[in-house]
Amino acid sequence: MSRRSLSTLAWQALICIVVLSVWQWGYQFHARLPWLVPDLLDPYFISRPSEIFEQFLKLSCLTSKLGAFNGWSNGEFAKCMARTENNLWVATGVTLQNTFFGFITGVTSGFAAGLILGRSDRLSAIFQPFITAVNSIPRIALAPIIVLAFGIGDTSKVVTSWIVVVFLVFFNTFEGARSIDEGFVNAARLLGASEWQITRTVVIPSTMAWVFASLSPAISFALIGVIVGEFIGAEKGIGRLIIESEARGEASGMMVAVTVLMLVGVVLSSGIRRLQAYLLRWRQQSRSE
Amino acid sequence: MPLDRSQDADRIDVRGLNKTFQLAGTAIEAVRGVSFNVRRGEFVALLGPSGSGKSTVLNMIATLIRPTSGQILIDGTPIVPGKATPDVGYVFQRDTLFPWRTVADNIGYGLQLAGVGDAERKERVAACVTQAGLKGFEDGYPSALSGGMRQRAALMRTLVVEPKLLLMDEPFGALDTHTKIDMHEVLLRIWEREQQTVLFVTHDLGEALTLADRIILFSARPGQIKDMYEVDFPRPRDAVKVRETPRYAELFQHIWHSLGEEFVKGRER
Repeated sequence: MSRRSLSTLAWQALICIVVLSVWQWGYQFHARLPWLVPDLLDPYFISRPSEIFEQFLKLSCLTSKLGAFNGWSNGEFAKCMARTENNLWVATGVTLQNTFFGFITGVTSGFAAGLILGRSDRLSAIFQPFITAVNSIPRIALAPIIVLAFGIGDTSKVVTSWIVVVFLVFFNTFEGARSIDEGFVNAARLLGASEWQITRTVVIPSTMAWVFASLSPAISFALIGVIVGEFIGAEKGIGRLIIESEARGEASGMMVAVTVLMLVGVVLSSGIRRLQAYLLRWRQQSRSE
Repeated sequence: MPLDRSQDADRIDVRGLNKTFQLAGTAIEAVRGVSFNVRRGEFVALLGPSGSGKSTVLNMIATLIRPTSGQILIDGTPIVPGKATPDVGYVFQRDTLFPWRTVADNIGYGLQLAGVGDAERKERVAACVTQAGLKGFEDGYPSALSGGMRQRAALMRTLVVEPKLLLMDEPFGALDTHTKIDMHEVLLRIWEREQQTVLFVTHDLGEALTLADRIILFSARPGQIKDMYEVDFPRPRDAVKVRETPRYAELFQHIWHSLGEEFVKGRER
């Protein structure tokens, strides 16, 4: 590791330590230094790292309500898992699963629609005003309607997630399909490609760069869609966990949920970035003459 | 009159071709009354200044542009605008290699479209890669190639399907002089072996003289045929040595003045 990246790492560690320390102990100085320590540092609102960690252990059934470690062999862990319906494991699993389905359905349907409309002047002329109108709706505003229509189960979360993802991918695909280099299309046609072959070997690959560019935000949007759906009505999920903790006035529980969401977000988007780099590897090379 | 599909038929027969473009409400006459024939196995250059409609004529023959009026027959059969004519290959001015395919997959594209089996395709592509001097680059992407290599790969993508008629639109226009002459060598060797019919658009008189059997000179816009010249250098030609012969100098001078007049006219517009 070079000296520069070592020093970068040291700075990052220092920032973490400072932020966590202020979070943990900062409010103790509130009475003495009220001008320096804002009310917002009150653990009632934002909890503190040690409490968040304890709450994490409880919510994930690793410790009992009293803080003692649940044994694996004595079956305490399994009992806790069975008793707490929306423990951290279940919540994370449910949220991830709905995010995944929302993402997949949103990307595929957005891609298909974008491709069809992008390649047909006629269809895009017909649908253009409707698309503009629907696109002007903040999609999240539809979440209550979706929960009303599809119930508090998983379906409403997938639909909420889908509706925020589909437009994003649609517009990217549409732009991509519109901006295809006609030189490629002509080259393929003159080499004897049929319309379908042109679509498969020219239109889709050259649109892909645009679609991939939308995948990173799409996965974040998918997660947002699911969480908002869970806020409005759900039995399980991380969003539900946040709402439950809020009802109990437990900042630590909300913070555990937010931390898990952060980790999930980081893992998902770095996965997408790796996928992008692999699928768009033809763009990476370039040669200076 | 019955269509003549015999061996003696001219490969390309262009009759009274006109093309007027509508550009922002103004009609621009690009091509006026162009008629010519190209014999089987002949190498013909369409020479003229830019804006002389020579590329438009080529693109009409290639079915990329619909003529305003006139007729184009290939092997005695009228072409259909928008529908590729079988056995006709086209090389673009700008290489249109697909950036998302490797060099080998670009070259093999036409074979893949035609449903040629994997083994045969690999073999034919490998032969083309060798011929174009692209060995070692076949698994890379076009973005890793130099301009000359890209144009060679593009040429091979067209040639791998063995077209009997080759239409080329200033294919070496963007290359530096040395690379260009290298490409002339490559093309001459291929043409001597395969004897395709070639119609080659260029504004470079030296290039036309090096390659062609016949030069059709276009006037400045609206593009009309101004003159035709037989280029009678013996074959096989050497792309470098042919330029050093007295006959080359003689022809060059002869055509140069006529071409120069059109360049001046084109500029005055």
